[in-house]
Amino acid sequence: MTFLTIIFRDLWRRPIRTALTMAGIAIGIAAVIALVGMASGYEKGIVKQLDVIGIDVIVSNMEGGLMPKAFDESLRDQVAALPDAAEVTTVLMQMLSVEDAPMIMVSGREWGGFTWEKLTVIEGRMPLDANERAVVLGTMAAEMLQKKAGDTVQIETEEFSVVGIVDGHSLVENGAIILALPLFQSASGYEGRVNFIDIRVPADAGADRIEALCRKIEDSFAGLRAVRASEVVGTSQGFKIARAMSWSTSILAIIVGIFGVMNTMLMTVFERTHEIGILLALGWKKRMIVGLILAEAAVMGILGGIIGVLLGAATLAILGTLPEVRGLLEPDLSQGLILKAILIAVGVGIASGLYPAWRGSRLSPSVALQG
Amino acid sequence: MPTEPIPSSASAIFAASGLTKEFDDGRVAALQGVDFTISAGEFVALVGPSGSGKTTLLNMLGLLDSPSSGSLKYRGDEMVSLPDPARYRAREVGFIFQSFHLLGTFTVTENVQIPMFGQGLSAKARAARAAELLDAVGLSHRLNHFPVKLSGGERQRAAIARSLANRPGVLLADEPTGNLDSQNAAQVMELLSQLQREHQTTLVLVTHDREVASHASRLLTMRDGRIISDSATP
Repeated sequence: MTFLTIIFRDLWRRPIRTALTMAGIAIGIAAVIALVGMASGYEKGIVKQLDVIGIDVIVSNMEGGLMPKAFDESLRDQVAALPDAAEVTTVLMQMLSVEDAPMIMVSGREWGGFTWEKLTVIEGRMPLDANERAVVLGTMAAEMLQKKAGDTVQIETEEFSVVGIVDGHSLVENGAIILALPLFQSASGYEGRVNFIDIRVPADAGADRIEALCRKIEDSFAGLRAVRASEVVGTSQGFKIARAMSWSTSILAIIVGIFGVMNTMLMTVFERTHEIGILLALGWKKRMIVGLILAEAAVMGILGGIIGVLLGAATLAILGTLPEVRGLLEPDLSQGLILKAILIAVGVGIASGLYPAWRGSRLSPSVALQG
Repeated sequence: MPTEPIPSSASAIFAASGLTKEFDDGRVAALQGVDFTISAGEFVALVGPSGSGKTTLLNMLGLLDSPSSGSLKYRGDEMVSLPDPARYRAREVGFIFQSFHLLGTFTVTENVQIPMFGQGLSAKARAARAAELLDAVGLSHRLNHFPVKLSGGERQRAAIARSLANRPGVLLADEPTGNLDSQNAAQVMELLSQLQREHQTTLVLVTHDREVASHASRLLTMRDGRIISDSATP
């Protein structure tokens, strides 16, 4: 018999209570995995999209929420005139409810801009010019809307022909409806306005020149922020809010878990007063009693954490198939997140066991034996 | 019949002088100036009616409780000043309780191993020692049974094996036959007497059963928190 045998035997003494306590931790950890995994998936999707398109610098008004506030498109030419702004193109992007899809990305792109370059037609064709009332659908958007080339799609109050299905090589691109900028400006009521200016810098421009370009844009155009594409996720207000919301909701779930374990461990200490008295009478040191109670709490944390990770992974997989989510993000379950979740679970277990362990170690052997 | 305190001697394992214990903020005086000496290897029975202070005194000998005043020495050292009470309880004394106090979620052999934790023994050594002890008390066929499956006599024999786990020099038994029928009580007392004789263990036993007390070599009779007689058994 080892110390571990004693721990598991004690936990097995009341299997339903132990299971329910672990379920409390598991739900908290599942919330962490699901919410943080969703937020992380969204961020990674955007990063991949920017990488695929080959954007170096993004200019936007960061006052908005997940989608930046629109601004006057005439700023494009002024930005294009700056040194190291080798290629410049504008985009108006909105999340809209389109037909049966509750939320889908609609991307109006400056005709001829480099944001069209990496789209590969897999069915139909690309729009002929900026004036053709046509859209192309990313593969996932086509699936969500159940459209094929030759169908029509209604965006806000206007109807467009679906002329092609494209592979954008990233989840966000594949989940989008893509059309020429003026058409979308007109359909969405944002005439003359965009919410992104995307910039490519010369191939030989190093980090310092890109940084200088960003500073120049911010200094020249009040209200606009220019960030390197690689940093957009870290600096965007929208992403910060999403991250903060996912973590704060998770922390609430974790706090509930902490009180659940603490309650269980306190009940365990109260119920086992007599047993603790026996252990003390048999020569167990107080620190062994503390160790036993903390170890039991930690084991519940570890097991609850593992169950929570599995539950969270399943939740992520299910969420990824929801119409509200599909095409917008690919839930992300990284090893780092799993490790964080398990560490949190163990921390929850130990933190919850501290007070009960202290109570247990304070018992007088003679009084406890009568308990 | 009041007795004169026996003076402390070199072989004294316990020496008490003016020992008192009060509970409930002094409203209950469980011990009222107790003096005695117990020598190493003695078999002493503490007898007396319920509430006379026998168990309180035994708890103090086991460092489960501390006196309100007076002196209680173990091998010449003041017990309240012992640096490591847990070590004392683990290595110097073994407890045997009236209601056995076996842990129900552990098998007999596991119960015997419980006091060995923290004593620097490997799991294998603990298991081997437990098997040896259980064999000595006639329970080698019950190693993997849970206490609930044992008879009262078997439970107490398992508890005796547990009390010997760390080879203590002192056994403290509180009404060890109190929950047993006469046949099992006789067997348990025979076992305790045999262990005490073979290992020259100091055995302090609390009982109000004269038959049980007759196994001891010395009787300390208590009443109202005092030792009223100290005599050899007939």
